Amino acid sequence: MQLDVQNISKKYGRDKYGLKDFSITIDKGVLGLLGPNGAGKSTLLKMIATVSKPTHGVILLNKNNILKDANYMRKQLGFLPQDFGVYPNLNAYEFLEYIAAMKGVGGSHLKLRIKQLLDSLNLADVAHKPIGSYSGGMKQRIGIAQALLNDPKLIIFDEPTVGLDPEERVRFRNLVSDLANDSIVILSSHIVSDIDTIADKVAVMKNGSLITNGIQEDIIESVSGKVFEILIDKNDLSTFKDKQIVVSTTRKKGKLKVRYISANPIGNSIAQQANLEDAYLYLTKTN
Amino acid sequence: MKLFLQTIKYDYLQRTRSYAFLITLCASLAIAYTFVPEPNASYSTIRIADYVGSYNSAWFGYVTAIMTSVFLSLVGFYLVNNGIKTDFNTKVGQIIASTKVSNFKYLLFKTLSNFMVLITIVFCVFLMSILLFFLYNDGTAFSLFQFVKPYVLVTLPALFFIAVLAVVFEVFLMKYSAIQNVLFFFMFSSMMVFVPKTENQHALDVFGTKIVIEQMEESVKLITNSDADEDLSIGYVLGNTKKAKKFDFNGVDFPRVFVLSRLLWILFGFGIITAITPFFKRFSDRESMKFKRVKSVKGEVNEFKEVVIENLSKPKISYSIFPLCKTELLMLFRKGKKWFWIINIIGMVLLVVLPLEMAHQLVLPVLWFLQVNRLSDLVTKETFYNTHYFVFASYKPLQRVLISQLFAGIVLMLFLSLPLMIRYAFESHFMAFTSILLGGVFIVLLASVLGILTQGKKLFEVLFFMIAYANINGIIYADYFGGFQDGVSYLLKLIVCISVFITLIVLVRKRQVVNLA
Ligand SMILES: Nc1ncnc2c1ncn2[C@@H]1O[C@H](COP(=O)(O)OP(=O)(O)OP(=O)(O)O)[C@@H](O)[C@H]1O
Ligand SMILES: [Mg+2]
Repeated sequence: MQLDVQNISKKYGRDKYGLKDFSITIDKGVLGLLGPNGAGKSTLLKMIATVSKPTHGVILLNKNNILKDANYMRKQLGFLPQDFGVYPNLNAYEFLEYIAAMKGVGGSHLKLRIKQLLDSLNLADVAHKPIGSYSGGMKQRIGIAQALLNDPKLIIFDEPTVGLDPEERVRFRNLVSDLANDSIVILSSHIVSDIDTIADKVAVMKNGSLITNGIQEDIIESVSGKVFEILIDKNDLSTFKDKQIVVSTTRKKGKLKVRYISANPIGNSIAQQANLEDAYLYLTKTN
Repeated sequence: MKLFLQTIKYDYLQRTRSYAFLITLCASLAIAYTFVPEPNASYSTIRIADYVGSYNSAWFGYVTAIMTSVFLSLVGFYLVNNGIKTDFNTKVGQIIASTKVSNFKYLLFKTLSNFMVLITIVFCVFLMSILLFFLYNDGTAFSLFQFVKPYVLVTLPALFFIAVLAVVFEVFLMKYSAIQNVLFFFMFSSMMVFVPKTENQHALDVFGTKIVIEQMEESVKLITNSDADEDLSIGYVLGNTKKAKKFDFNGVDFPRVFVLSRLLWILFGFGIITAITPFFKRFSDRESMKFKRVKSVKGEVNEFKEVVIENLSKPKISYSIFPLCKTELLMLFRKGKKWFWIINIIGMVLLVVLPLEMAHQLVLPVLWFLQVNRLSDLVTKETFYNTHYFVFASYKPLQRVLISQLFAGIVLMLFLSLPLMIRYAFESHFMAFTSILLGGVFIVLLASVLGILTQGKKLFEVLFFMIAYANINGIIYADYFGGFQDGVSYLLKLIVCISVFITLIVLVRKRQVVNLA
């Protein structure tokens, strides 16, 4: 199982790029796709999912060009779009059956599979009510169930944890690691904590380009030894921010505890263990 | 005040930048082009006995103004009657609800923005009418006043009132677009048949057209010296073999009462807005209006369940289109209020009990028209409900999803007309039977073509409304269901239309699927 994205660009206007000459190779396992709003994450994922076409470039799945043969991808794809809707008058069963039919999934086991999915996503109780009456998190789980209908080998989740409560997030994380055993799973987010515990590899993008791509440890390595904390006065924050890359600030006894990244720390700073969030902020702010 | 104008401005921009607006504008211009026939054309729009006006400024100005007043009142209502609903659906309404803008101001600015949208079209038609004058005139002088006067006194107040009416309908019937459509249909029809008896009664004519027409009749009576009511025809009359004689029409000297009444209609409109303000519940409903109001549900979390991939039963590949058809039908039947089906059933019963001719010519087109909201988004609902990613990423969406949608639409129409078809079958009247069958297919495909081309539902809704109006008035050119015609050549015409529609649908959809955004 290998997904090969080669030099793809997506133009939205004359010189407005959603994605610019982007290449990445993705193998089995979980890839976390990080990037600030408007980085081009959804643009990339939609093209991989064959619902959008690149202006230039090629996307290969196991050496098959999916721009030419979209159905090769669609047969093994599970896709959760970032901004999807439902037909409010259908109930969860009917909606999933409908999506299954569109995906070309059927057979006598389908009903059972839908029931199992709804059951394990905790939707069995509401499965017979119209989806229009669901809460945001329930709808999101319908979206997740929908992506798993066809036993997919490549699963794309665009901002999957939006609207999920902490318990559901845990459940989702377990699901993703389970899926990654024999498939490619790509998840996008701009929240690092959604990704750092489950992703084997992390790709960071910004302004339509790939900034870095690799296993988590290597990415964190790029800032290790550069992360510090210091207590400063509230009023000094803005001048401090001008000189240093600030990761976070916490209020502490009338003062501010500032976590920052720097090659040459100031006076009484305390060195800290670097984490993915530090690396992410460092990378997106310096690139 | 400045803020108020700003709000209207952006609302106006948002609405005029829509595709539906552009399409309606183009359609209006195309239709306005025919308001005053080209000198050698073989149809007439306004003709009094054997007379039409000589082509001077007044004739162009007044004819286009009154035609616009009627035509845009009909079509314009459908263009603007979703202003508030859109705010609901886009959740902009919730943001507005949290600001300090008062209900009255909100409704007022919706009315004004409705009006501005309509004025924009009127203005384009107005320019068009001047252009037509320079193309066809009989060598008379151009007088701008003869154009401005009827538009200001006849057309604008009428459209202002329509703008008000659209807001009123939305305030009371927002969730029931089907009822809005039908109710307006009847209101419009009854306003059209109103005939003022005395000069002062012209004040009651919202459209303000009757007084102009009466004046034209008077002018003709002066020439023919007859007191009898002239044989007046308004609307498109084709195949005038006899060349019309000309009479000079020099505009109308509107009585003071009439001028005052136009002003009063506008004031009345403001009064109505004030009066309905207490009934406007702001955007208090938690639910977006896109959805039927349903009781919210809660999922109980009993135990810690998880998806275990290996345990899931394995599905098989199946490209059967049958489940898609089933669901599309289900969605079609469930759309709208449940009790609306009672009306449908009454309609079907009428198809059984009424005399054949009446059932076919009157009940069937109305019954079908009542499904306008079901048909108008048949093939575009995925964009509206934001499920297009699922649809376009499905296996062979063109062949499978589209066909099942068309199938469901056609089944619905034929199901409704079934009683009538059975009656014809018993009488071995297979021409009529076939034309109903083709008629059902025709209207579903028309809805689909317009939906796919415009990516919206307004154009079809407006058009279907006009067709239904023509059907009720027995105009045979709008007969798509064989109520007034039969014979092989008629059926062939229907088949040709259907084939063209199918070709268009397939071609355009194919392009859309290939060039995904
Ligand atoms: N349909 C479109 N038309 C024009 N520009 C678009 C369109 N879709 C996306 N863009 C632009 O492309 C860029 C990338 O957008 P994209 O949705 O891929 O970002 P993202 O990384 O998914 O952001 P987010 O975290 O907010 O979801 C943005 O600058 C956006 O404005
Ligand atoms: Mg996104």
